[in-house]
Amino acid sequence: MSNLEKYIEAFKTTFELGDESALPALKYQDIEAWDSVGHMALIAELEDAFDIMMDTDDIIDFSSFEIGKEIMAKYDVAL
Amino acid sequence: MLRGKNIIITGTNRGIGKAALTAAAKNGANIWAHARQETAEQKELISALASEHGVEIWPIWLEVTDKEGMKEAVKEIRGGKRPVDALINNAGITYNALFQMSSEENLREQFEVNFFAVYLFTQLISKLMARGGGGSIVSIASSAGIDGNPGKTVYGASKAAVITMSKSISRELGPAGVRANCIAPGITETDMLSSMPKEVVDGQRAAVDLRRAGDPAEIADAAIFLASDYSSFITGQVLRVDGGMR
Repeated sequence: MSNLEKYIEAFKTTFELGDESALPALKYQDIEAWDSVGHMALIAELEDAFDIMMDTDDIIDFSSFEIGKEIMAKYDVAL
Repeated sequence: MLRGKNIIITGTNRGIGKAALTAAAKNGANIWAHARQETAEQKELISALASEHGVEIWPIWLEVTDKEGMKEAVKEIRGGKRPVDALINNAGITYNALFQMSSEENLREQFEVNFFAVYLFTQLISKLMARGGGGSIVSIASSAGIDGNPGKTVYGASKAAVITMSKSISRELGPAGVRANCIAPGITETDMLSSMPKEVVDGQRAAVDLRRAGDPAEIADAAIFLASDYSSFITGQVLRVDGGMR
């Protein structure tokens, strides 16, 4: 599985999404599942998938699917 | 009470933390046992408890103020692929000094250990709990954090901060199945008590309904209860375990 596939899978698993077509435009709190608790679960899922520990500032800044990609790059995760 | 559960306890080398480690093992939990420094005595205790009770105990040697070390420890815990069912935040320090005699250095040090480290560690562990469907966070606070206490201004304030943190966590993470409670011990037979002036300790004992200090095991038993599913509908609470302090 490529890094991008793992990244997408983390969103789909955390938010129980069947379809990934809406992901590129997805932002924090766009859907009910991506609330503060969902956000924490998403970060935990990503940290586990890529074996990283994100800094609090990055967790706060992780406000959309696309911005998340830029943040992952800081942890040497190329998507 | 904790058979099959996996729990983390900080500050297990003495006092309440050591009693909590013993009680958790006795109750069947697998434990990540944190202590500041690796010592032969601690290693022997861990080995003896694991063997006697048929549980697994993994030591974590770490200064709680070492943020990078803390992250590495959490990575290791996460890598074990076991759910974290409970966290007992016990590690703490105290200095006895009257308000006007408290140095800024001691103030900052107590808040670093008693509050900031607890906050940051709980932040990291609660993510694992939320992802795993829930868990129980038990923080050892103090009656000084509720009532105030002469000579305990800074310590009490740091514990009050822990209490408020715990209540807020309960509200924020309750929907994810994470419970958060505090225990507020009164005077307890620990090194902290022996560091206090005798007249202060005598005065405090006299103000306790049971006329004695608590045993660390009595505090630990309450922590085990709150960590376990026996308290599954209890969250956002501060349980006083103080023999009836007035």
